Amino acid sequence: MPKNPHDSDVIFIKALAELLNENDLTELQVKRDYGENDSLNVRVSRKQEVAAHIAMPAAAMPAPAAAAPVAEEATGPADDPANNPGAVTSPMVGTVYMQAEPGSPSFVNVGDQVSEGDTLLIVEAMKTMNHIPAPRAGTVKRILVEDGAAVEYGSPLMIIE
Amino acid sequence: MFEKILIANRGEIALRVIRAAREMGIQTVAVHSTADSDAMHVRMADESVCIGPPSGTDSYLSIPAIIAACEVTGAQAIHPGYGFLSENANFVQIVEDHDLAFIGPTAEHIRIMGDKITAKDTMRNLGVPCVPGSDGGVPTLSEAKKLGEEMGYPVIIKATAGGGGRGMKVAQNADEMEHAFMTARSEGKAAFGNDEVYIEKYLTTPRHIEIQVFGDGKGKAVHLGERDCSLQRRHQKVFEEAPGPSITPEERDRIGKVCADAVARIDYAGAGTIEFLYENGEFYFIEMNTRLQVEHPVTEVIFGVDLVREQIRVAEGLPMSFTQDDLVINGHAIEVRINAEKLPEFSPRPGTITQFHAPGGLGVRMDSALYDGYKIPPYYDSLIAKLIVHGRDRASALARLNRALSELIVDGVDTTVPLFHALLQEPDILSGEYNIHWLEHWLETNLQD
Repeated sequence: MPKNPHDSDVIFIKALAELLNENDLTELQVKRDYGENDSLNVRVSRKQEVAAHIAMPAAAMPAPAAAAPVAEEATGPADDPANNPGAVTSPMVGTVYMQAEPGSPSFVNVGDQVSEGDTLLIVEAMKTMNHIPAPRAGTVKRILVEDGAAVEYGSPLMIIE
Repeated sequence: MFEKILIANRGEIALRVIRAAREMGIQTVAVHSTADSDAMHVRMADESVCIGPPSGTDSYLSIPAIIAACEVTGAQAIHPGYGFLSENANFVQIVEDHDLAFIGPTAEHIRIMGDKITAKDTMRNLGVPCVPGSDGGVPTLSEAKKLGEEMGYPVIIKATAGGGGRGMKVAQNADEMEHAFMTARSEGKAAFGNDEVYIEKYLTTPRHIEIQVFGDGKGKAVHLGERDCSLQRRHQKVFEEAPGPSITPEERDRIGKVCADAVARIDYAGAGTIEFLYENGEFYFIEMNTRLQVEHPVTEVIFGVDLVREQIRVAEGLPMSFTQDDLVINGHAIEVRINAEKLPEFSPRPGTITQFHAPGGLGVRMDSALYDGYKIPPYYDSLIAKLIVHGRDRASALARLNRALSELIVDGVDTTVPLFHALLQEPDILSGEYNIHWLEHWLETNLQD
């Protein structure tokens, strides 16, 4: 062991990072107890691209759980909007609002041209209004959610082509 | 009364909570990551919400996602299971601030017990026995020797600024004290620039004994005896039993009452576990876990109670459904933790379960989220099943464990099942004579190929 605890920690963390890559892991968390009230917590992780082919429950919630896996298959991956290359999916769980406040016009309508970064809609979670920006410029082809709908992580919101 | 609860967890413990809720007529909401879309807890719950990508940090540990999932489903309460957010005081505070109920203790109790020093001070003040030690630094050798005589050898001398094993010396008797004291001081000085040392009693071959407590949050509390969880590998429990083979009824009543009284005095709510090292008839407090434990079923089995149901009742403001006098031990229970790991190095083995058959019959309980064709994802811990057996006495429980293990089929991945077949051949396991070092020693000599 190197004399300096800092050096040994660095070596330890490097070894963890190698372990992560070699075993194709996403995340690795280790706690080392050096003694009472002296410990080191390390978490090494790498972001995984969420593959578009991961099956999302097609219907809005609540989905009948017992039948859920069957229902997903029945819908079929072919016409699942989540598989559409133009799909914009929800980055979080929450409630959808199509306009800035009740009575205001919708942020976008089908057929609108949008620029990258334009607000498409709001997902409210924990009383926080999260503006969902257009990931790219294009035309709004379909809007897949209604005002006030509940969405989960990965739910398709719109198709922009 | 709750109509709908959300379970902020996955795997077998999520199923455990769903089962209790269903028997109480309460609707359930499962949350899951994209890696768990086909998981059993998602299938068994009444509703499910995908809360994030595979990484636990972005899904099962994401407080905003879990609170939002409650909001969109109308769940009134959250059961945290164990691990993940179950002992996160900040999370509990946020849950309460959103007018949701947390099925567990208060944020304040979680905070107190989550800090080693505060927990120890609190418990000592509540009359719970702790490892004897000096109050702060010990400046002179004569004072060190006096303390050694008082608390009884062996003792350990630790540098106040120490860590990583340096500045720590064990003195087996008074003769060794001078050398150990001076060495710890000089190592502390050399390594940390501080020669202050403190002294604690040193336990050589303790057992891990934990007391299950349960409080109603209004000053009433009971204990449900002990579990012996001494068989551990790298501080992970692998085999737990209740009652503890080394504990007498008198010891159980004494330490149990101390623990129940302690949590009653702080108005503790719900399930909790007070962990001790046990040696030569004495208990020494280690820590308190403010949640349901993985090994809670052994306690449920011998007392015939449903701890999750009680947790939900107490969170609803109802009284506990039993008193201390109602709690009578019936027989003996053993749990083994089956992990998807390859022996002898215990390396995780995620993969597809090609065939799964759970053992059954009298006195057998299998808590598992496995099914034929299930893909164990690589992102979470490797516990795939808990096998719990109940017998009239320890010998019949061991025989039943042997029988149940031989019925179990888990094909497609490596598991720790062979470890338990091997342990059941060991005289020390059959006689119950083991301590917290036993399994590590046994693995060193028996699993090196």
